[in-house]
Amino acid sequence: MNKQEKVINYSLALLTFFALILFVVLRQTQNFTLEPFENILPKILPSLGRTLFVSILSLFGSMIIGFIFYLMSKSKVKYFRALVDVFTEIIYGTPLLVMIIVMAFVIGPAFMSGSNSQAGLHRLGIIGIIIYMSPYMHNVFKAAFSSISEEQYMAMDLFGFTSYQKYRYIIVPQVIRILMPPLMNNFSLIIKGSALLHVLSYPEIYQLIYSETLRNFFFIEGFILLWAMYLIITIPLSALAKFAGMMLEI
Amino acid sequence: MRLIIEHLKHEYDVQVLNNLNFSLDKYKSIAIIGVSGSGKSTLIRLLSGMEKPTSGNITINGVEVIGNEDYKKKVGFVFQNHNLFPHLTLKKNITLVLEKTRGKTKEEAESIAMSRLEQMHLADQVNKIPKNVSGGQAQRASIARALSVDPEIIFLDEPTASLDPILTNEVLTAVEELRDSGKEFIFVTHVMSFVKDFADYVIYMHEGQIHEHGLPEMLDKPKTEEFKKFMSQVR
Repeated sequence: MNKQEKVINYSLALLTFFALILFVVLRQTQNFTLEPFENILPKILPSLGRTLFVSILSLFGSMIIGFIFYLMSKSKVKYFRALVDVFTEIIYGTPLLVMIIVMAFVIGPAFMSGSNSQAGLHRLGIIGIIIYMSPYMHNVFKAAFSSISEEQYMAMDLFGFTSYQKYRYIIVPQVIRILMPPLMNNFSLIIKGSALLHVLSYPEIYQLIYSETLRNFFFIEGFILLWAMYLIITIPLSALAKFAGMMLEI
Repeated sequence: MRLIIEHLKHEYDVQVLNNLNFSLDKYKSIAIIGVSGSGKSTLIRLLSGMEKPTSGNITINGVEVIGNEDYKKKVGFVFQNHNLFPHLTLKKNITLVLEKTRGKTKEEAESIAMSRLEQMHLADQVNKIPKNVSGGQAQRASIARALSVDPEIIFLDEPTASLDPILTNEVLTAVEELRDSGKEFIFVTHVMSFVKDFADYVIYMHEGQIHEHGLPEMLDKPKTEEFKKFMSQVR
């Protein structure tokens, strides 16, 4: 697809969605208003900021643990590999909401006394997201590192590169190109998943708008507003991921 | 080249080389031939020091090969697929090796890289990354990289395996131009015309063993049934 074709096709796709939205809006029988949410306007930016803050924290946390899992899965110690496999299976079968609740009220308190304060629960909720995302991050690392062929490692060894040189000049520059797009996708998943922290009353964007709907009973408007808020964050991110993938393409 | 192989065994999940014993002297260009799975690639990797055998010893020109890091610095290796670092230009593939592992300055590395790439007729491709050049050009750049470290022995493991006949000819011609470079060669190939032209000794492998060996004339007079069959298939 050349550039002109791309522009035409994407414009058509956007128009299709606008037409669909227009159709849906025109078919509505009840009035749509965001007025009941005007009083929380000043709180929207700080809440969006908190959503981004926990998401970034969870991204880096899960990247670190995911990388440790990757190293363990490559270890000669079979126990480590088994440990990663079992943990991954458990997480894959666990809903994020369950993980957050269990981490905050069951696992967390078992390890940290005094974690039942509001801030303590929030911290444990974030840890829940980090733990939940780690196997997914492990997969991202696994895919990225497997792109370096065995023969490249052989060549590096034969030339006599040190471990640092291998990673600094050969492995990381290649891996980062492959890592970026799935990493951004996982970041999008984390942003959306962070909405579940509202069960611990963490004041992120979902919690702010949802609690307001409980007061004003404008549920539909509230959820549409939420939808728009998440799209405002995730669409530029997705575009950034595509752009990064394109710029870094080998 | 003085090559001594003693009780060489190597296994992955299956035994690839089984108690290989072999020695030869004075030859400068040795071809290893045989069907796929006969152990040729394993043998060339062990001879280059790139892999360690399960057991046994290899000595080349009086130097112990196994676990000898100094030996590894004296060899060049050309892989089946060029195996250049894909994110670096052809020139940078060479300068990185020279600067980081051979202690050359940037200027020295650039000068060596350019001269080796020119030798391989790639002067106009130096700033391209591997995916933007042809398979033959990438393989010649790989040979240039192997040459750039000034190796005493160059190993070539089926350097034309993934190339079409025209590119195969292009690469093999480039290798033949190295005949008078003073280097020694050990190579694996299925191109028998190249073996006849370039090798001065031939090793035929079958099922992890050196089945026949001798001067290139042996290609026209196979002794064993296996070698006869192999030659009838590759002609």
